[in-house]
Amino acid sequence: MADGVDDQSTPVEKDEPQSPGPSSPVPSEKKKIDLLLKAAGDAPIMKKKKWAVDPSKKIGWVMEFIRKYIKCEPNQSLFLYVNQSFSPAPDQEIGNVFECFGSDGKLILHYCKSQAWG
Amino acid sequence: MADDREVLREVWEGRLPVAFSLSSDEVSVMEQPEPYYLLVPRQSYLTLVTDKVQKHFKTYTDPDKVGEVWFEYEGQPLKWHIPIGVLFDLYSFSSTLPWKITLHFQNFPDEELLGCRSKEAIESHFMACVKEADCLKHRSQVINGMQKKDHKQLWMGLQNDKFDQFWAINRRLMEHTGDEPFRNIPFRIYQVDKSYIQSLFRPVTDDGEPLTLGDLLKENLPDIIPKIDACVTQVIIQGVEPPLDTPIQWLSEHLSHPDNFLHICVLHETDDR
Repeated sequence: MADGVDDQSTPVEKDEPQSPGPSSPVPSEKKKIDLLLKAAGDAPIMKKKKWAVDPSKKIGWVMEFIRKYIKCEPNQSLFLYVNQSFSPAPDQEIGNVFECFGSDGKLILHYCKSQAWG
Repeated sequence: MADDREVLREVWEGRLPVAFSLSSDEVSVMEQPEPYYLLVPRQSYLTLVTDKVQKHFKTYTDPDKVGEVWFEYEGQPLKWHIPIGVLFDLYSFSSTLPWKITLHFQNFPDEELLGCRSKEAIESHFMACVKEADCLKHRSQVINGMQKKDHKQLWMGLQNDKFDQFWAINRRLMEHTGDEPFRNIPFRIYQVDKSYIQSLFRPVTDDGEPLTLGDLLKENLPDIIPKIDACVTQVIIQGVEPPLDTPIQWLSEHLSHPDNFLHICVLHETDDR
């Protein structure tokens, strides 16, 4: 991240007030994206569902985050779905996925531990 | 679409001659093995067509150190989940043939490459792309209207390099009803050392006028056209440079890869290594 102001290793909880950085406002295209993470099938539900994420983060990074959050063992599978229909490529940027499949200003992703769709 | 079926076949039959070598520091025998030459389909995936190559080179390396196989071109790890032809166009377009790829069995760079432990991993990646593409084109209506065996036939057609088997199903995904074009064009723009670009792009204007490759490029890379005019930037799809005024709908129907995406490589003069 270029500005280094909000360089964090975890997504920002949406409800937390964000402290304004010392530098100029972030350009709009760098704006964080609201992710809504929903459990499907037998996957544990996340207490916090809404997260603000940097658009340049990759899908694989979100999957790692969910794994840690719901304590998914390394030998267990985790599947992520867009539109309840397909799995985005792990090297795809969140910004791209949001641009193509986001709605109402947010991107909804479903996660589950066994293959749910297709 | 039927008129241009020959184009589909030409694209399908695109092949690349590759000289595979085993990374020299992984050779555990006295003599360096000779390169292994193979003609590979542009439309396929590296990990799908290299069983023979891997088997061959395994005999020259320390079996205790054999991990997951990966491929590299001049220091650049090659992502197996991007079609072979796209990798070539992006990294090696102006290089001489055969394409020289180095094979590794050690030190898998998991920061850069996705794991590919089985053919099922390739199949599920491929099907995910097809589904995503249909979500963009037809709101998933065509792919969801298919049966499991149709999905299987798409994959088997690609895996076994059978044009008719594949296109018998794929034509339904590529069809548009009447004059109705795709809702959005499934495309990805690749540039060296950058993440790929994917966005929504309708193939026609609000008035129904067809939009072109040039229009799509301008929208995603605003300063690209002068660079193309000045010949410092090249735009490659399926190994050719299509004219910028080619309708994007036609390109999507005819020059997409089997995963139903139009993979566009944008090469800048400064990329030359």
